[in-house]
Amino acid sequence: MAFLYELAWRFLHVALHVQRTLLSWFRARLRSCDWRLWKRAMAALLVPVALGFHAHRRLGPAAGKRGCRRFRWGTDGRALEKLPAHVGLLIAEEEPRCADVATLVVWCMAVGISYVSVYDSRGIFRRNNSRLMEEIQRQQQELLGVDSAKYSVELVNGSSEKPDSQVFSCQAVVKVLSPDDGKSSIVSAAQQLCRAVEQRERASKDINIDLLDSMLRDSKCTPDPDLVLKFGPVESTVGFLPWHIRLTEFISFPSHVDVSYEDFFGALQHYAACEQRLGK
Amino acid sequence: MSWIREGELSFIERLSANILKAGPMPKHVAFIMDGNRRYARKRHVERQEGHTQGFEKLAETLRWCLNLNIREVTVYAFSIENFKRSKEEVDGLMELARQKFKKLLEEQENLEKHGVCIRVLGDLELLPLDLQQLIAQAVVATRTHNKCFLNVCFAYTSRHEITNAVKEMAWGVEQGLIKSSDVSESLLSKCLYSSSSPDPDLLIRTSGEVRLSDFLLWQTSYSCLVFQSVLWPEYSFWNLCEAILQYQLNYQSLQRAQEQHWEEQALQQLEADRSCVAELMRQHGSGTVADTQDRRKLLLSYTLKREERVQGFLSALQNKRDSFFHNLTSQAVLA
Repeated sequence: MAFLYELAWRFLHVALHVQRTLLSWFRARLRSCDWRLWKRAMAALLVPVALGFHAHRRLGPAAGKRGCRRFRWGTDGRALEKLPAHVGLLIAEEEPRCADVATLVVWCMAVGISYVSVYDSRGIFRRNNSRLMEEIQRQQQELLGVDSAKYSVELVNGSSEKPDSQVFSCQAVVKVLSPDDGKSSIVSAAQQLCRAVEQRERASKDINIDLLDSMLRDSKCTPDPDLVLKFGPVESTVGFLPWHIRLTEFISFPSHVDVSYEDFFGALQHYAACEQRLGK
Repeated sequence: MSWIREGELSFIERLSANILKAGPMPKHVAFIMDGNRRYARKRHVERQEGHTQGFEKLAETLRWCLNLNIREVTVYAFSIENFKRSKEEVDGLMELARQKFKKLLEEQENLEKHGVCIRVLGDLELLPLDLQQLIAQAVVATRTHNKCFLNVCFAYTSRHEITNAVKEMAWGVEQGLIKSSDVSESLLSKCLYSSSSPDPDLLIRTSGEVRLSDFLLWQTSYSCLVFQSVLWPEYSFWNLCEAILQYQLNYQSLQRAQEQHWEEQALQQLEADRSCVAELMRQHGSGTVADTQDRRKLLLSYTLKREERVQGFLSALQNKRDSFFHNLTSQAVLA
């Protein structure tokens, strides 16, 4: 009997994997041919079937053609009821691609988001910091053209603000994060507090949430991320800033490769429509 | 309405459960039971009725979890932020908790039969004293049971829990039980309210909200997160199966990410121990003479001593927590 159950289980999982692959294949295909009606019909058919996160993602309204996109950036941002101040891009995939991540960062900047964090659980972006930065600047020129002077970038290297981080006149702050900024930073704050207690500079009863929170905030006073866009098949935060994601909205994409602007903007619209009751 | 609902699954449910169990199953599932009020509004019933139905659904879900071999469940019953709600609603929720914990004490035999251990995670001192006493009685009465575990987060937020853990470690330093250099990720985990449970494998939030709302932020770093749009009182066995299926699809990649994290953690600990030994040697002025073998010995003995210190501190912390519950129960008996 156990053998039969296992067989059934295996069959079920193969079916689910096939469904997943078909789904992403259809997405890619339908994007390349511009059959909006088709896309709508397929989305209506497939979305309820898809498991998990993306079942709840609402598709954005049909947006204009690629050519006129440049003129819509600012208006797109303003058209939303509320815009996240800080967006986290969480890449939970085997091979993160700099170019695609840079595109997402530039889109974020273009719609008027002031803080953008890029994270992956193996610290790949942290190590290839300069490559990502170059890519962002290149795409900024390309996508925003004449406007690019308006969108300057400041790159901060996570919480360990090294003096060599590139600083431009500030409009958007782009942060590259790794697991070191997560639990490890809470642990080092705890160590610091304990050292103060050891040297009788502080008493244990003085420690409270606000004190710890102020220690975990960087010198730029970056707000907590309001929205995290998670890319990849793993439904997890994979160690992304545990302290800071208390009220963060998570929206999931199957992959960060070739994300369409419509889908990106759809996520922002979803965020704008969300009501946070803050416990009330 | 009792805590464990008797009853078996239907044939088709049992069949699906057996198929699911052929794959990797989560050992610990956490729930954010959201949507009670929306359910009440939808059904045009009193808000309190929504909360009551939510509790009944919890009893039913626990039954399903037992049937699916899930031995540990953590639920978010009441957040510290929820104290901001209207006085009427907060009072209603406290009254519901009072009733349910009284009921729990009445049906102790049933809990013993199933071996259910109840833990309450949170800052109990924020609650009315009589409720604190009831909770303490329930916790003490079921503490020896070890077949399945229900952790109820009450007057809980994750930031509060983490801060409390830091405070406890600072207390340990004050008492001279540990040194500040002993503070590590694994020690912090052991000072959390949830120290006796493994991290949840699966976190489920109902009612379509896609945030964690200050729940188990530390513990769910590598858990599978599943957001479902169904309202909690309408949660069904099939919703649970869907979430487990989602967990199974994610199982391998999550396992890999977790292992990688553990490796890094072990490396960090080794590095910390090394620098402590180096510091000690510098203080004793023997930094230059020691050869590699001596150094290894020193490192080993330092690690053993550190582990001893940490063990001593953790048992002192456990004693402190146990005596808090014992004091409350003895107060209740006297009253």
